[in-house]
Amino acid sequence: MTQEIDLEVKGLQFYYNGDNHALRDITLPIYKNRVTALIGPSGCGKTTLLRCFNRMHDLYPRHRYEGSISFEGRNILSDKEDLIRLRSRIGMVFQKPTPFPMSIAENIAYGLRLKGIRNRTELAGRIEQALKHAALWNEVRDKLNNSAYDLSGGQQQRLVIARALAVEPEVLLFDEPTSALDPISTGKIEELVSVLKQDVTIIIVTHNMQQAARVSDMTGFMYLGELVEFGTTEKIFTAPDKKQTDDYITGRFG
Amino acid sequence: MTTEAKKRNIPDLLFSLLTGLASFTIILLILGILATLLTESWPAIRKFGFFRFLFTVEWNPVKEVFGAASTVYGTLLTTFFALLFAIPTAIGIAIFVTEIAPNFLKGPIGAAIELLAAIPSIIYGMWGLFTLAPIMSKYIEPALQKWFGSLPVLGMLFRGTPLGIDLLTASVILAIMIIPFTASISRDSFNLTPSVVKESAYAMGATQWEVVKDVVLPYSKLGVFGGAVLSLGRALGETMAVAFVLGNNHRIATSLFDAASTITVTLANEFAEADSDLYLSSLYYLALVLFGLSFLALATAKLFLLRAEKKYSR
Repeated sequence: MTQEIDLEVKGLQFYYNGDNHALRDITLPIYKNRVTALIGPSGCGKTTLLRCFNRMHDLYPRHRYEGSISFEGRNILSDKEDLIRLRSRIGMVFQKPTPFPMSIAENIAYGLRLKGIRNRTELAGRIEQALKHAALWNEVRDKLNNSAYDLSGGQQQRLVIARALAVEPEVLLFDEPTSALDPISTGKIEELVSVLKQDVTIIIVTHNMQQAARVSDMTGFMYLGELVEFGTTEKIFTAPDKKQTDDYITGRFG
Repeated sequence: MTTEAKKRNIPDLLFSLLTGLASFTIILLILGILATLLTESWPAIRKFGFFRFLFTVEWNPVKEVFGAASTVYGTLLTTFFALLFAIPTAIGIAIFVTEIAPNFLKGPIGAAIELLAAIPSIIYGMWGLFTLAPIMSKYIEPALQKWFGSLPVLGMLFRGTPLGIDLLTASVILAIMIIPFTASISRDSFNLTPSVVKESAYAMGATQWEVVKDVVLPYSKLGVFGGAVLSLGRALGETMAVAFVLGNNHRIATSLFDAASTITVTLANEFAEADSDLYLSSLYYLALVLFGLSFLALATAKLFLLRAEKKYSR
C-alpha cells in the first residue's frame, strides 16, 4: 500500500542530563492516518521517543536532541520551532487521566480558548462534537457543568482524548493510555483509537503487546534506546526479522 | 476477655488517657482564658455595654470614657492593608520558586523565605522605626501623594503630612512579616499539583502563565487560602512590629498617613499606666474583643475551607 508520511524521524539521538544517551540513532517514518505502536521493555526509550514528537522534554533542563524529525516540511527539533503551535498540532494523552480542575465542558473548551475561540455558540458546538468524537457525549450530555473529577477513570481518559481532539490536531500521541484502566474501559479506548485514525495520525506507546497487535498498523520494537525493528504490525508479530523481536513478542524476555 | 488480654490492654488504656488529657488541657486553657477575660472586663462591660463600647471612638483615661472603635478600626485597617500587600507578593514568590526559577535558585530563595519568618517581630519593629519609616516619609509617601493625592475619593487616603509613623508604614511592616508564612504555605500547596496534569496543559499548547493560572492555582487554592488565613491570624495579633511605627493615636484615621492604634498596641502600651479599676477593666474588655475577632476570623475561614473542600473533593 502506498502511504503518505506524516512525521519522519531521521538519525535521532536524545540525551538526558547532558550525557545520558537515551535514544540512539532512531530512524522511522510515521504514516498519515495510521496507528504506529512503540513496544519494548521498560526503560527501552519508547516514552522518551514519544515525548520528542511534542518536545515535552523541553519542560525540563539539560536535555539535548540531535538528528531531525520533519513535520509539515520543517524540522520540529529546531530551536526556532514554536512549541506552543507545535503542541496544538500534536496532542498528547498520558498514562493517567489528567482532567483539569474545572467542569467537563470547560475541560474541552480549554484548548479552544487557548486558540482564541471565545464565541459561546461555537464553543458549545465544538464541545459537543469533541465529546461525540471521543464516544463520551451520551454519558455526559446532562452533566456538562459537573466537575470532571465526578467521572470514572475510563470516562476521564475519554474526556482527555476529547479535549485533545477539540483543537483538531494532526497527530495524537498516546503514552500507555490504558495502563490505569479496567478491561472494559481499556476496550473502549482501543475501539476509539481504531476509529480516530480516520482523522488523525496516532502514535501509541504500550506495554501490552496484545494491545499493540489489536490497534496498530505499524509497530516499532525498541530495546536499550535503539529501534531494533520497524514494520507492519502483522509482520512484526508473525514473522519478525530479528531474533530479539521474536524473543520479546513471544514473551521470552522483557 | 481473658485476664491475659486485659493485662495487655493496660498500656493501651494508659496511652489513650495520657493523649486525651493533653488534648483536653487545650480546651481547658481556652475556657480559662475566656473566663479570666470575662470576669476582669465585667465592670467595663456593665458600664459601657456591648455596642456602645464597640462604637465609641473616645478613649479617655482622664474622663474615664473608654470605647473600642478606634483600636478595632486600626486593627482591622492595618490587617486589611497588610494582607492586600502581602498575599499577591507571597503568591508571586511561590509561583516563581515552584514554576519559574531554575533549580539552583530554588533552594536559596526557599531558605531566605524561612529565615525571614524566623526573625523576631521586635526586630521588624526596630527596623521599621529606624529604617523604613524615614524612607517612607522622605521618598515613598510624598511620591504617593503626588501621584494619587489629587484623585477624587482615592485621594482621601493620601492626605496629611507624611511622617512615616502611620498606618501605611505599619501595614507594610506587617506585610513583610506575614509574607514568609503565606509564601511557604502557598509553595507547599503549589508543589502538590501533579506534574502530569501540568504536563498535559503544556501538551495542549498552554504557556507557562496559562498553566499557572488555569492548573496550578485552581489546584492549590485551598492551600493558598489556608495560608492567607494563618497570616490574617498573625496580622490581627501582632504587637511589637506595629507598636513602633503606628504612632499610637486613638482616632479614626481617614488617611494612610495618619497615626492610629491597634488593640494589641494599646494593651502593650497602657497596661502599666492603667491607674483605675475601670481603665484596667476596659483594657481587658479590649482583649476580649480581640479574642472574639480572631475567633470570628478563624471560624469564617474554616467554614469557607469546609465548603470549598466539599465542592472540590475527589
